[in-house]
Amino acid sequence: MKKVIASVLSVAMVAAIAAGCTTQPTDAPVSTTGDNGETDPVETETSADETEETTTEKQTATYGTGAEHINLWSFTNEIPNMVGQYIKQNPEFGEKYTVDCTIIATDGGAYQQALDAALVAGGDTAPDMYAAEAAFILKYSQGDMAKFASTYKDLGIDVDAKIKDADIAGYTIEVGSRDGEVVALGYQATGCAMIYSSSIALDVFGTDDPAEIEKIVGAGTGSWDTYLNEVAPKLKEKGYAAVSGAGDIWNACEKSADTPWIVNGELNIDPKRDAYLDIAKTLKDNGYSNDAAGWSEAWFADMKGEGPQKVFAFFGPAWLINYTLYPNCGGTQAGEGTYGDWRVCAPPVGFFWGGTWVLGNKDTDNKEGVAELIEWITLDTSETGLQYLWANDLMGNGAKDTVASATVMAKSNGTLDFCGGQDIFPAFIAGNSYASAKAMTQYDETINRYWTDAANQYAEGNLDRDAAVDAFKTNVADNLSF
Amino acid sequence: MSDNTVKMSSIRRNEIILKVVIYIVSIIFSIMTLFPFVIMFANSFKSTVEVQQSTLALWSAHPFANLAKNWHVINSKDFHPFTGLLNSFIISTCSTILNVYFSSLTAYAITAYEWKLRDAFSGMIIAVMMIPTTVTTIGFYQMVYKLGLTNNLSMLIIPSIAAPMTVFFMRQYLQANLAMEIVQSARIDGAGEFRIFNQIVVPLMKPAIATQAIFAYVGSWNNLFMPLILLTDKTKKTLPVMVSLLNGDIYKTEYGAIYLGLFITVLPLIVVYAFLSKYIVEGVALGGVKS
Amino acid sequence: MRNKKIVDYAKFGYLFSIPFILSFCIFTLYPVIYTFVIGFTNLKGAGNTEWQFLPSVGKNLFQNFIDVLTSKTFHKAFRNTWIIWIINFIPQLGFALLFTAWFTDKRTKVKGTGLFKILFYMPNIITAATMAILFNKLFGYPKGAINDIIILLNPAKGAYNFNAHEWPVKLIIAFVQFFQWYGNTMVYLIAGVIGISPEVFEAAEIDGANRVQTFFKITIPCIRQIMLFTLVTSLIGGLNMFDIPQLYIGTDANNAGLTTNMYIRNQAFSGSYMYNRSAAASVILFIIIVALSSILFYILRDKDEAKLKKLKKQELRAAKKGF
Repeated sequence: MKKVIASVLSVAMVAAIAAGCTTQPTDAPVSTTGDNGETDPVETETSADETEETTTEKQTATYGTGAEHINLWSFTNEIPNMVGQYIKQNPEFGEKYTVDCTIIATDGGAYQQALDAALVAGGDTAPDMYAAEAAFILKYSQGDMAKFASTYKDLGIDVDAKIKDADIAGYTIEVGSRDGEVVALGYQATGCAMIYSSSIALDVFGTDDPAEIEKIVGAGTGSWDTYLNEVAPKLKEKGYAAVSGAGDIWNACEKSADTPWIVNGELNIDPKRDAYLDIAKTLKDNGYSNDAAGWSEAWFADMKGEGPQKVFAFFGPAWLINYTLYPNCGGTQAGEGTYGDWRVCAPPVGFFWGGTWVLGNKDTDNKEGVAELIEWITLDTSETGLQYLWANDLMGNGAKDTVASATVMAKSNGTLDFCGGQDIFPAFIAGNSYASAKAMTQYDETINRYWTDAANQYAEGNLDRDAAVDAFKTNVADNLSF
Repeated sequence: MSDNTVKMSSIRRNEIILKVVIYIVSIIFSIMTLFPFVIMFANSFKSTVEVQQSTLALWSAHPFANLAKNWHVINSKDFHPFTGLLNSFIISTCSTILNVYFSSLTAYAITAYEWKLRDAFSGMIIAVMMIPTTVTTIGFYQMVYKLGLTNNLSMLIIPSIAAPMTVFFMRQYLQANLAMEIVQSARIDGAGEFRIFNQIVVPLMKPAIATQAIFAYVGSWNNLFMPLILLTDKTKKTLPVMVSLLNGDIYKTEYGAIYLGLFITVLPLIVVYAFLSKYIVEGVALGGVKS
Repeated sequence: MRNKKIVDYAKFGYLFSIPFILSFCIFTLYPVIYTFVIGFTNLKGAGNTEWQFLPSVGKNLFQNFIDVLTSKTFHKAFRNTWIIWIINFIPQLGFALLFTAWFTDKRTKVKGTGLFKILFYMPNIITAATMAILFNKLFGYPKGAINDIIILLNPAKGAYNFNAHEWPVKLIIAFVQFFQWYGNTMVYLIAGVIGISPEVFEAAEIDGANRVQTFFKITIPCIRQIMLFTLVTSLIGGLNMFDIPQLYIGTDANNAGLTTNMYIRNQAFSGSYMYNRSAAASVILFIIIVALSSILFYILRDKDEAKLKKLKKQELRAAKKGF
């Protein structure tokens, strides 16, 4: 027995020590990763749609071989892959710099926690360049952590002229500006459109022409009144639902508000957000929706047209079509499921939903390198620029997406069979211009969750309107101290 | 005479009824138990859309094509099953061994010896056990980061030397099962204290060690948050951390691949459990037992 | 001579505790002290490293503690945690004891107990996160396995929104917690019973004790130490409950599933980064757990052992005097 324990222990010790030793030089280029790359190239050969280079590049944590190091922090491999693409196009960048990528998933707030600690600690291992998602970008561009972000100007980017050239969507600039200076920009544009069913439109309104439908639903009026009071009852008469669930409208109510949740340190309920309580109640009481929560099985069933009532419209950006509606429509060609039945037009209320922004650290040692990458990702309008590649599905996403630069959008082609051959880009460009970011704070994610729950409790009849608002105020006061 | 047989048969009848009840209840619980595993297994054979449309359905239109696709997604997204397996294995095995061995040692120190600070020390262990883990994680991360020891697997291994819960359990167990007479007689035979612990006490604690080893192993294997923020180098990531990365590209979650990842993660645990559970199930006859 | 030996052995007590103490001081003590100190400061805001003690900025030293203790949300979280823990623990211990009785009873020759013992622990090896998500789908609304059954049985009534109402949410969370942990508790109890000498049971059988009597009069008293352990660890685990309610419901359904640990996390990480209040809340939670566990230990303490200790002390004193 003693021998067994002793040998097991010694193995454990050796393993622990070995594990300790091999990990120390974290800033050296990783060259000892042969063991984990072995089996993968074989696997990737079976995939025809992705180029071999990009998949093998994914095996290493670093891009480039240069002497200068750039630390890149991100929560997915999306931006690291872009860097790989850039180095492929510009090998001299890779000879000068090595980009070390740190990817931490956002689960349980892990990414923000680690990123905050790394930014605060500073030094050689601090991030030179980092990404932030729509849900938490405000914290890094205008909130608590904004002091670590460099303005694009300080990085040496001629930002004003470039923004003008690229015709960057206004809301992405508002989100990424600190005291009027740009510190963060995105590459996607996530302005939203109304994605509606043409067969239901024909049945109820006698037309499926986007221009006509826009008039019928009150597109661009900035109010849901027409949609709820005139369109929804007509749909209901023929047994259709106006939306899948109240949550589909919430995104629009939230982002179209004129004043933020917190004004001068006090909680402020904007009338447009306040109206959401009544909207949720109306939808529930009149049966205008299928009562499906976003991302639930019922919501996906509605995309397939298999809910209790067929749903007339969803509201969302291009990615909602690419990654959600399209795969869930129940078919891959016209006539199957809802494929080919969808059309796109401007929504009654403009808003954006999601997106990723890129920031540079004000203390970075490699301003030029960071600036070069950021400029290529966010402001380059050429056909070798990231946004052109992104919009035209040349980055291996498997989908055409909308990007921040209207100049690039104009050069790109957005026709989709899924939408009956309609060019979806014009509607989304309109959506981008309606969208605004003036009413955002770093607290939004939390406050929104409390508010939508209050609306849900009110709609369900568990609380009356005043009690729901009170519960919401208590939550905000107790958890955020406002 | 006839009275007696009636009594006997009624006892036998009760016996049978009891047995039937035991089987029925046990089988119901077994089915319940298998539910999440079956779902995970079934979902590994589903496409993302199939999972989205119905997570709990057990069928798939193209199970094997989907499995191949999920496997491909996994491999194209920084999920390297073998690296992850190796890292998880190193961390869990080492920390489990340190955990149970040193906890047994500490528990033995508290139970078998009388020393001045003993009561204070065992009180402290119990108090430590009650510290909410949420509290220590933040400070622990900051400390490790300042020391520059992120991406060092030993930071997830060595702290398990101080596992108050396990010490507490071992202490409870030793108090009930350790006969000091055995220790005394070994001393008379001239055995050193450390040798007595290793050769006599540890074998005596086998059921307790096996029990704790399983729990420690499972806990360490499933630990997500700390490894998630500590292990940023992809060659150091554990399986659960890799699964978290499958949530992956924004707005596009590959659910089928996630379930396959979860299933790959849980599989080794089942093996380890099956291996260790024999100590619990068979019941190890104990040497010296205090009655 | 005898005295010298005692001193010798005491040395080993210290020696064998050193690894634990070292590891504890390095890895746990610093974070804990840090937390305790922060509870009395004004540290808030992400990326902020500067802090002062509250009195030096003109505030009550205990302001954070007062804020937490007077907060309605904390009250609710505290109440929820207890309710959910109790609803989960009673059946958890009940079923664990029942299965322990069944599976360790040598008289009822039940076949396949080995398999059942293995199976029942299995839910514990799946992460709480996965479990919470699967149950969320199970109780999905308006589409989900349970609602599909409800509609099948009573089409007129329609689907029920489990996750919008207070009690269903609490019951489901308690059930998931029960489901994950009854096997674990059972394994502990069985390990305890295995440790009991078989002769004790044989003697009981010879004395004509029936099954129920044996269990309550022999088995339970013998595994009291282990039961105390499961009670205390379950209490600690229960008061620290986080993963399951967080991933099952979060703060939705009007905080129906909010636990104290979620409250602590929300103070620190939901936007305002009130590390100070979060730290104060964890200190409060810590004190509550310590107080409760002490009471439990006192009630369930091994009375014989306590007596023995007293006796020994007296003996020692007498010996010293004599010496």
